[in-house]
Amino acid sequence: MSQTAAQRFLQDAAVKSADLMHREVIQRGMDSYDAAHLKGRARIKDWEAARQKCQEIKREAINHLDRYLLQFEEKVIARGGHVFWAANSEEACTYVKNLATRLGVRTVVKSKSMVTEEIHLSPALEKAGIKVWETDLGEFIVQLREEPPYHIVTPAMHLNRGQIAKLFREKLDPKIDSEDPVDLMAAARRVLRQAFFAAEMGISGANFLVADAGVIAISTNEGNGRLCTSVPRIHVVVTGIEKVIPRLEDLAVLWPVLATSGTGQGITTYGTLIGGPRLSGEVDGPEEFHVVLVDNGRSQLLADAEQREVLHCIRCGACLNICPVFRHVGGHTYGTTYPGPIGSVLTPHLNSIKEFKHLSYASSLCGACTSVCPVKIDLHHHLLQNRRNATEAGATKSSERLMFRAWRHAMLHPRIYAVGGWSMRKALRIVYGLGLAGSILDPMRVWNRYRSPVPLPSESFRARWRKDRAAN
Amino acid sequence: MPQTEKAQTENSSRDQILQRIRAGLRTAVLEPAATGSDRVIFEPIKNPLERFQQECVANLMECALTANSAVSARQLAEVLQSLPEGEIFVQDHPSLRRLVEMAALGRAIRWSNQGAPGEASQATVTLAEALIAQTGSILVTASCGGRGASVIAPCHIVFAKIAQLVPDLATALSRVSQEQMLEHNSFACVISGSSRTADIEKILVQGAHGPRRLVVILQTGT
Repeated sequence: MSQTAAQRFLQDAAVKSADLMHREVIQRGMDSYDAAHLKGRARIKDWEAARQKCQEIKREAINHLDRYLLQFEEKVIARGGHVFWAANSEEACTYVKNLATRLGVRTVVKSKSMVTEEIHLSPALEKAGIKVWETDLGEFIVQLREEPPYHIVTPAMHLNRGQIAKLFREKLDPKIDSEDPVDLMAAARRVLRQAFFAAEMGISGANFLVADAGVIAISTNEGNGRLCTSVPRIHVVVTGIEKVIPRLEDLAVLWPVLATSGTGQGITTYGTLIGGPRLSGEVDGPEEFHVVLVDNGRSQLLADAEQREVLHCIRCGACLNICPVFRHVGGHTYGTTYPGPIGSVLTPHLNSIKEFKHLSYASSLCGACTSVCPVKIDLHHHLLQNRRNATEAGATKSSERLMFRAWRHAMLHPRIYAVGGWSMRKALRIVYGLGLAGSILDPMRVWNRYRSPVPLPSESFRARWRKDRAAN
Repeated sequence: MPQTEKAQTENSSRDQILQRIRAGLRTAVLEPAATGSDRVIFEPIKNPLERFQQECVANLMECALTANSAVSARQLAEVLQSLPEGEIFVQDHPSLRRLVEMAALGRAIRWSNQGAPGEASQATVTLAEALIAQTGSILVTASCGGRGASVIAPCHIVFAKIAQLVPDLATALSRVSQEQMLEHNSFACVISGSSRTADIEKILVQGAHGPRRLVVILQTGT
């Protein structure tokens, strides 16, 4: 029988949180991120003012989304580019696939893009017989492992150098005998270099769509994004409609804030702006430039009075990094394109609330995510709203509803509540006395399976209350 | 609304998406008004040159200050001598023609009017539109030898004059708008250091797919 997403989540979370090697790799990665992030924030004189500014920029953009998208589109078309609006994944994939087939594309080089993961573009192209190379080192590694990215910024952060060296030996070259990251990068570079110069099409995402200048903005460190958009004769950008920002000057704040939140850098190595195909007189660049604007459920969020701001997200990954749940269960456990707090908020909107409501509970509601979000999205309250929405939509199990009905009844009838409490204490005392804590017979099994039982009180709260009152 | 459909053939979902956006935006959302705050986000740059040099170090790039074009030419020759044999790509611009002539390189040179740098180029030499002190960056556009000129070769050498140094990103970006750089170029890039990755165990590796070395020859005199 096939598992539900919620059952799989619980199972994977239990396995991952007990996996010591995974814990060690993540701990090390997160420690180094934390240090860099704090140092990065200290470089900005007024971090709170920067967050405020970014929030206002994105709010302005999202609240006039139609206007700014049209402004962007007009400029791109005027430079000889193409803009395709895709309502869903299927439309986006079909457009890119047909374009590739029509233009005789056999090899595609991709730079990192979470939207292409969301719409499953690579499998769609490969089904059409097109070879797709992920060229970001982390993406390349997870592509070789045939698994999805673990994290939206650092896709292979769950692996250590030994695992990556072994993978490269198996898939690239059996002679690779070093585990040094420098040598591993060089090995990947050798392979991918050939791909860059063989590919007819480069596919990138976009961190921002700048409306007034009519350009896409891509932030990358490795330079693979630069090669993907310079060398092949076709460049396709696949991005979400919510990535738009009003003005080029907005990048003066957004670029440093994205870099600081993403990796702790003051600015990303390459902040690339591209507005169209190679213009006449230019030395190089693609002959064709296509921008695919993907909706895929985003426009529905605009009508959500409480959660419209979820569209402000700039996908920096800061909320994943700080989240105590992410740090324990890891990125793959979520089973979604976007893991961590932002993914838990967003996925029920992009997919279904019924299937992914459990993610709203994969949170301690500690609010750490909200506190680091560079565009000030109120993430943990949105998780609470999703819980409420799921319940109101009747997406809860009948057993859960029954138990809450019983609970409500007991709360309204103190005598029944008292009897219930008394019998539970008695029952637990017997179960614990027999040494069955955590066993299948233990009603508190979920808690006690991995923990020593909380000591049982000798008397009820009501009894103590009465006694204290009598004493005074 | 301007007519924007011209170059598009089949775009059946466009109107539907725009309709959904407009319908969604009619929902009233309770939001605080923009503060229009004039709080200072970034520390103002007091000494642009000093800051630029500091940021170059932090960004793992080299910055050589030169007094005049003769020293610049010597600097260029020195950097190129340290590189393996092979072709050099140079942006076709009078100032670089002069510099290369003075440097007497004795190497095969591919000028940008002959096309993009080859896959095996050892170095590229270009100008920049501006240098940015705040972030230790160079701003290039397609006019600076094209797109590949700043990323294909393992070493990128930028020749700039001190007058091109601007204090911060905001100034650089407003210059891009004012001078309509993106009207005349399909590409621009703010480059802050050599190509790098930290995708393996968050360990910094310099020289990923782009240049391992980024050298700025910054001429203070004429």
